Amino acid sequence: MDIFSDLWLGAATAFHPVNLAYGFIGCLLGTAIGVLPGLGPTATIAMLLPITFGLQPESALIMLAGIFYGAQYGGSTTAVLINLPGESSSVVTAIDGYQMARRGRAGAALATAALGSFFAGTVATVLLAVAAPPLAAVALKFGPAEYFSLMVLGLVASVALASGSLLKAFAMIVFGLLLGAIGTDVESGTPRYVFDIPQLYDGLNFVAVSMGIFGLCEILRNLENEHERSVGVRKVTGLMLTRDDFRRIRGPVLRGTALGSLLGVLPGGGAMLSSFAAYALEKRVSPNRAEFGKGAIEGVAAPEAANNAGAQTSFIPMLTLGIPGNPVMALMVGAMIIQGITPGPNVISEEPALFWGMIVSMWSGNLMLVILNLPLIGLWLRMLTIPYHLLFPAIIGFCCIGAYSINNSVFDVFIMAGFSVVGFALFKLRFEPAPLLLGFILGPMLEENLRRAMLISQGDPTIFVRSPLSLSLLAVAVLVLGLVLAPSINRKRDEAFTE
Amino acid sequence: MHLKRFITLAAMAASICAVTATAGRGQDYPSKTVTVIVPFAAGGNTDAFGRLVAEQLDKRLGQRFIVENKPGAGGNIGLGELARAEPDGYTIGMGTVSSNAINQTLFKTLPYDKAKGFAPLSLIARMPNVLVVNPEKLPVNSVQELIELLKKEPGKHTYASSGVGTSIHLAGELLATKTGVKITHVPYKGSSQAIMDVVAGHVDFMFDNIPTAAQQVKAGKLRALAVTSLDKASLLPDVPTMDSVIPGFEATSWHGIFAPAGTPPEIVEKLSKEVQAILHEPAMKEKIESMGATPVGNTSEEFATFIKGETEKWAEVIKAANVPLQ
Repeated sequence: MDIFSDLWLGAATAFHPVNLAYGFIGCLLGTAIGVLPGLGPTATIAMLLPITFGLQPESALIMLAGIFYGAQYGGSTTAVLINLPGESSSVVTAIDGYQMARRGRAGAALATAALGSFFAGTVATVLLAVAAPPLAAVALKFGPAEYFSLMVLGLVASVALASGSLLKAFAMIVFGLLLGAIGTDVESGTPRYVFDIPQLYDGLNFVAVSMGIFGLCEILRNLENEHERSVGVRKVTGLMLTRDDFRRIRGPVLRGTALGSLLGVLPGGGAMLSSFAAYALEKRVSPNRAEFGKGAIEGVAAPEAANNAGAQTSFIPMLTLGIPGNPVMALMVGAMIIQGITPGPNVISEEPALFWGMIVSMWSGNLMLVILNLPLIGLWLRMLTIPYHLLFPAIIGFCCIGAYSINNSVFDVFIMAGFSVVGFALFKLRFEPAPLLLGFILGPMLEENLRRAMLISQGDPTIFVRSPLSLSLLAVAVLVLGLVLAPSINRKRDEAFTE
Repeated sequence: MHLKRFITLAAMAASICAVTATAGRGQDYPSKTVTVIVPFAAGGNTDAFGRLVAEQLDKRLGQRFIVENKPGAGGNIGLGELARAEPDGYTIGMGTVSSNAINQTLFKTLPYDKAKGFAPLSLIARMPNVLVVNPEKLPVNSVQELIELLKKEPGKHTYASSGVGTSIHLAGELLATKTGVKITHVPYKGSSQAIMDVVAGHVDFMFDNIPTAAQQVKAGKLRALAVTSLDKASLLPDVPTMDSVIPGFEATSWHGIFAPAGTPPEIVEKLSKEVQAILHEPAMKEKIESMGATPVGNTSEEFATFIKGETEKWAEVIKAANVPLQ
């Protein structure tokens, strides 16, 4: 079998002591920057890029890839412990993960995240090894029309993200869409809602906005409720998962892995989109859906599995087509070009040691991460025993550093601060922030692809139903919309979500 | 409130710097760390050139040259910072065809004084783009055949770009204005998504950077018709130039290094000389060529004349193509 000799070649590269060491450094660094809010893999890889000039291409790429998926593991830690998503892809984990922590189950939430991620990483790596080229072909089928239909489905499904009033969920999605409209219009180059502020020309930064709405806002809420806070923090029990937990996370991890693997292949959305989608799906199908938003372990397992699977499969377009799907992949392409390897459809045949070495290193990296992260859980939990008057300033300090480091811009720090107030107001008015963020991400993609598809079709709207892929996505969207609006289900939904 | 305080602080800092800087300009420059502003995100071409040159300046002048990425608004944010910096040689910055020759026309307002401009140090490198077509959507083998087909089916064909007003977009507009063909522009956010849609056949053709496009050409997914520089490109030696079919067609993206306007001429001279020397080193040349670019390294005056010509050329294209101003 070819695949075995290929994997053997990969293993020989990946398990070479030097590469193993660089892989470990990458994972460790990735975990560390994942834990720090705002400071993401993009900035870290960019900073480390010059150091990789002198390394062997395999070692350099293995280390950089380690940073990327290490950050996916680390990002969930602060999301669970202090409601501060370390990475954009762990925003959803914060919703139920933090509630679990408040109920004293932080250890279980972190273990779920680590094990779910490891399982998803393993599956996605196998997928990468056996099915990378056909999956890349699927990604190519997604043109503007198909993206538009996918976004429509995403928006319709996002209603499922919200608990409580349907009207409020719609309001939040629309608010998110409006925020997403800020910036330069891609089609015409016209600035919208920028008020001549150059920093707004590229739109609001997602990381700054979500750090404000989740992280800083949480501090405001805690400061208001001193009594409630101390109760939530001291109660830390159950470090490991119970048998019941394992039973409950099995389905969500499997579904999250499948969803993440598929969405990760598509350029643009990748890991973040897949975590939102997995959460929304679980909320629909889980037998414990009433618990969502109040600390459901499924709400941690599914998105964590999905974002790690997505992170892994987002390598597919880059490795097989030479086309980066997200900023991190663009940096990896940069690193390869500097090494004299131009990524493209021929990399697999021209650089087999590099290609298969990277794939095997993804699995060994995931293994390292789970070994690294499980014992660290105890250490992270001790963080919760730090008195809040010391923890607050530290969190605010890290947030500011993180927000600044996105674009080396003070403006993003102000955006974060401003959105902490917005988040607080939303909390007081009992609005859910998750649909807002989803609208904010999907809105610009929806609009861009709609207009792009119309440009390509010379203004003919049948382009959306002529493509079978686009047509089926739209059909599913209509179906979901029907389900949401159907009176009987709507009533049940209200019963389930309103206390 | 904050802005006010910032301005007073900046003014105070500036006056202190001015006092200390006048002491011995030129000879003992640089006597402290120099900041190199890159007005684009880390990992791109401008960032790579900036880091390569900064690393060498560091070695030659014995002071740290630290790269700071200030991305946003098509390079305007970083250039705004550079313009506001004290013109003492301790803040310099990178600039490109977009940020220093196109944005001047494209943007109604800039966060710095357009008339005052910058002190050009040296042109680092020029990168030709390549015209690639999806062979299934456009069964053409040469630029002539492409023009014939586009003339036969006006308005039916699309070309992708990395965004409105980028050099890649304007190369397409240049093609349209020079030949009179009618083509539909489909902008993307960045060139990687754009080239993917050309490979997949959603869009018919585009101009793109050579290194990434060359791989798709080699794999047979795209067909290269011509390069946009006056000379053939080293990475695609068999591909003719646009100039050989449409005389005067030249559209390269270039990357240079600048100081704020008003920087003492001795310092401008010194930095320019160093950058020129760096770009004539064989190892450096080789590195830049492997990235699909041509190293240049000219004098401050030559660079200034070059920028003037580029600014006028692109202003004409923007006007002729009716590109909406931002």
